[in-house]
Amino acid sequence: MNILFGIHKPDSGYLKVFGTEVSFKSPLDAIENNIGMVHQHFMLIDDFTVLENVILGDEITKSKGLSIDFKKAGIVLNEIIDKYDLGLDVNRLISEISIGQQQKVEILKLLYRRSEILIFDEPTAVLSPVEVEHFFKIINSFKADGKTIIFITHKLNEVKHISDRVSVLRKSKLVYESDNSNELNISDLSKAIVGDINDIQNSEKRNASVKNVEALKLDDISLTVNEVKILNSLDLTLMKGEIHGICGVEGNGQSELVDVIYGLQKNFEGNYKKLIPGGISLVPDDRKRKGFIKEFNIGENISLKGANLNFLPSKKINKISEKIISDNDVRVSDLESPMSELSGGNQQKVIFARETDSGTDSETDSENNILILVHPTRGVDINATAFIHSKIISQRNEGKAVLLISSDLDELISLSDRLSVLYKGEILKTFNRDEFSRFIKSDSEIEPETDPEFLLMLGKLMTGINDK
Amino acid sequence: MDLITSVISLGFVAQVLRLMTPFYLGASAANFSERGGVINISVEGFMNLSAFSFAVISILTGNITAGFILAVLINLLFSVVFGYFTVSLKINQIVTGVGFNLFIAGLTKFLLVYIFSSSSNTPRFEGLPEFTLFSSIPFFGLFLTDYITLFCFLLIFISAYILFKTRFGLRLRSAGENPAAGESLGIKIRNYRYYGILICGFLSSLAGIWMASNQNSYSDGMIAGRGYIALAAMIIGKWKPVNIFFACLMFSAFEAFEISLQITGSDIPSQLIQMLPYFITILVLIGFIGKTKPPAADGVPY
Amino acid sequence: MISKKNLINLISVTLSVLITVLIVFVFLLILGKDPFEIFGMIFSEVFADGYGIGQTLFKATPLIFISCGLAVCFHASLFNIGAEGQLNAGSFVIALTALKLDFLPVPIVILISLIFGFIVSGFFGIIPAYIKIKKDVSEVITTIMMNFVILALVNFFLLDFFAVESTMRTEKINEDLMFLKISDVLPFFDGSTLNSSFILAILAAVLTYLFIYKTGFGYKLRSVGFNELASKYLGIRTNGVILISFFIGAGITAFAGMNYIFGYKGFYEFGFSNNIGFTAIAVTLLAKNNPIGIIFSSLLFAILDYGGLSVNQLIPKELMLVVQGIIILSLLAVDKIVSNYFKEKLI
Repeated sequence: MNILFGIHKPDSGYLKVFGTEVSFKSPLDAIENNIGMVHQHFMLIDDFTVLENVILGDEITKSKGLSIDFKKAGIVLNEIIDKYDLGLDVNRLISEISIGQQQKVEILKLLYRRSEILIFDEPTAVLSPVEVEHFFKIINSFKADGKTIIFITHKLNEVKHISDRVSVLRKSKLVYESDNSNELNISDLSKAIVGDINDIQNSEKRNASVKNVEALKLDDISLTVNEVKILNSLDLTLMKGEIHGICGVEGNGQSELVDVIYGLQKNFEGNYKKLIPGGISLVPDDRKRKGFIKEFNIGENISLKGANLNFLPSKKINKISEKIISDNDVRVSDLESPMSELSGGNQQKVIFARETDSGTDSETDSENNILILVHPTRGVDINATAFIHSKIISQRNEGKAVLLISSDLDELISLSDRLSVLYKGEILKTFNRDEFSRFIKSDSEIEPETDPEFLLMLGKLMTGINDK
Repeated sequence: MDLITSVISLGFVAQVLRLMTPFYLGASAANFSERGGVINISVEGFMNLSAFSFAVISILTGNITAGFILAVLINLLFSVVFGYFTVSLKINQIVTGVGFNLFIAGLTKFLLVYIFSSSSNTPRFEGLPEFTLFSSIPFFGLFLTDYITLFCFLLIFISAYILFKTRFGLRLRSAGENPAAGESLGIKIRNYRYYGILICGFLSSLAGIWMASNQNSYSDGMIAGRGYIALAAMIIGKWKPVNIFFACLMFSAFEAFEISLQITGSDIPSQLIQMLPYFITILVLIGFIGKTKPPAADGVPY
Repeated sequence: MISKKNLINLISVTLSVLITVLIVFVFLLILGKDPFEIFGMIFSEVFADGYGIGQTLFKATPLIFISCGLAVCFHASLFNIGAEGQLNAGSFVIALTALKLDFLPVPIVILISLIFGFIVSGFFGIIPAYIKIKKDVSEVITTIMMNFVILALVNFFLLDFFAVESTMRTEKINEDLMFLKISDVLPFFDGSTLNSSFILAILAAVLTYLFIYKTGFGYKLRSVGFNELASKYLGIRTNGVILISFFIGAGITAFAGMNYIFGYKGFYEFGFSNNIGFTAIAVTLLAKNNPIGIIFSSLLFAILDYGGLSVNQLIPKELMLVVQGIIILSLLAVDKIVSNYFKEKLI
């Protein structure tokens, strides 16, 4: 996509737009060729108004060309907003509007630049189903206007719902191409996406006994940040020896919930009780920013956790590194390489090792009995994913209380003993495993096929629609 | 009694407004740089450099105009090098700023001794011509006495207009807020960061020139932290031209007060008066403002 | 074994010193001076005899102390520009304590003086750290402001309460408190003011090295310096680490006064530091924040400083300030270019 949008240049091959061969040096060239892109992470400036964000780089100026004609620009934008029913106020700051509205600002940017080819990178990941529906309506009206839309997603239902044609990319290769979505065979498509599933190792077997001991109890927890209620009378109990999954659209209080449990956020109301000894381990969501110190090597990153005023000679550090590498099959060229030189999967394995068997001296190790995992396999290759999944189960089997927050529903359903739905800082409903495990049609713990009806129910809950 | 009468006089207010010139020029200079995403703590050094080159070149050539133009050009040249370090090479902006400050301080000290065989100051020279248009107008005639001060007051409106009403300002601010977003819309972020630094170099040169002209000589250490106070004023003014004006007003009021104290021969020890503006800055930073929010990508190399 | 990172550091430091020499050569030629004559005089002044070497080591002593303090701060990503003020406050208190407590046994007086100096300097490091934590205001601005405030305060207390009439200095401390002169043991250094502070400075550098690179707190400190957010999620109390690092880092700068007070003059004099707190920034950067490297970069700066005195008839000794400035700037540029080059070549 970055090649299409002129951010990167191809090493070889050519690009044709509307029949003419083009070569993009910068995004500007792409824009001039009527190609526009909505990035997965929005390219918006929080401190600018909607109008300023949209016109930036292509400003409508007064006759002398120096100052911006805000009035005229406002009229132009409002015309587009009305035409496609975007419902935006051009004078609001980006920081004041919702994620869904921000996406519409991104779309408005493309329309303002008369883009004919619109690229969307995972556009629905941040949207609630109601917003998704509205988004699809907008997309369809573009289609009716004769625009071309490239829609990148990993959600098969959406592919089926909206696409005219589907292409599957795997490992930088085009592995599948269809002509008409009506002939789409979902299982063919999944196979194309997953590839050869045989090389996945079989995962740890789930041990049946669940100890009935409460590890952590959150009672009526509320949290308000900058006058916005993030957590709303939230109740949550974590038992020893269970994996408690949390599903929900991102931005419904997940990271704040983690901060409260982990002790980084103390300004909450309500009761928080830790009922078992030992500390809390955390595999945070944003690995690169929160997970490790990229300048430190493996052993140093492991030692950081709970390092006291000890003397830590390099020999000791290297021993720790060696143990982690051999125990977890971490691929690394040099024992002392900084973490930044490891692949994402290997980095995540190191973090996992640190937070679980914690690799430090066994005698000083005051066992952490509570484990919080946030998107543990995001951006991680398939082998490392399998490894991490089996580790999660073995942690549970050892009797730890595991809180699993993820946006990957398959992962949640295959691993969780209980599954709670988080919506607007509130737990709407909690399912026991026997309520949803019967929906799992395949035995494999890795890529289970989940009953679409159950998924639909979950999806509704995640957007606040509670049927029962 | 003397002190009170001197402070509540019209002349005192005019003094405050006049002394504000280097603060506001310095703060605006830093603001343009930071709005473009580059922290420039060498405003102090840049003011020092231009005060020095203006005085020295004016004295050596006997031509004030040559001194003025060359002082500005030298500052712009140093700004380009500063930009090369911070924008092109992406070196830590604060470390670069400290490096420039040390280098400029050393260079001016050395050249001062080398050229004038004095480690303290240059000979006296005729400063910039006076601005006489308003001199008969009461009050305004008291502080709008030179072109730079006049420009400084216009700058409040000019900088607000440039930053918030023009295409250039919008793009410059995008470089300071979210360079990736600007780049995705085809804006050459690095160029804009250079422009911000160059404007910073230009405005800080005016501040330095005003200082030397006002004192009719250059003396070692004459900037005396005004560049840093200007940075503090920019922070207190939350990167907004009009707010910065009021912050600068506060600092120049302290300076005018200090001068009044000295003239009226007060009992307060002089060291304590001298440290007042710095002390107040710290107090203000500790207590009287909430968390300040710089441009989101301020200080982040791109 | 030398690690890849250290090798790159060594290359860039050497290159930048060479480039500095080149720039200064050209600069001198433009001014119509003979660079070989000037550099020759510097080195012959320093290395001609034990006196020259001794004086150079004497000048390096305070630089080593201050730079070690700065290294602690810099490793925690705290850009402390306030060493000039911090070290003056601490040195002043060292002299005062030694004056007021001289009825106690000698080692105890020295120890208490140094501890008090450390605490006072450290206290002035806590203030910018606190403002950084609570108000998110960069320590750069506050430490600069603190310099002006501290120097004015020291000047005020000194002149109004403690100074010897019509001077800018305190009274002389008891002769028994004075440190051993190295020349008393090694006649080679005859006449030089080199004293046992130098040995303590080397010791301080080694201890600071072990503290930063080998202790658990050192790891935490560097971790906060590299990535504060990740450190928080690693369970490190980042605010505490910032406060303590700033306290220790600023505290060490007080020992700069040890060399002057116990080793040389026997009193605190206003202006003794002569901007050494800023020079130390350059020394620390040149050493890439490594306390062992600091010993060597301090020596280099001391050579320039002491040797610079000898060329004063030919060219103002302030030339050395220009040289120091060029060293920093060329180091910054060369460092970036070299590390970019190696990134492309080796990885």
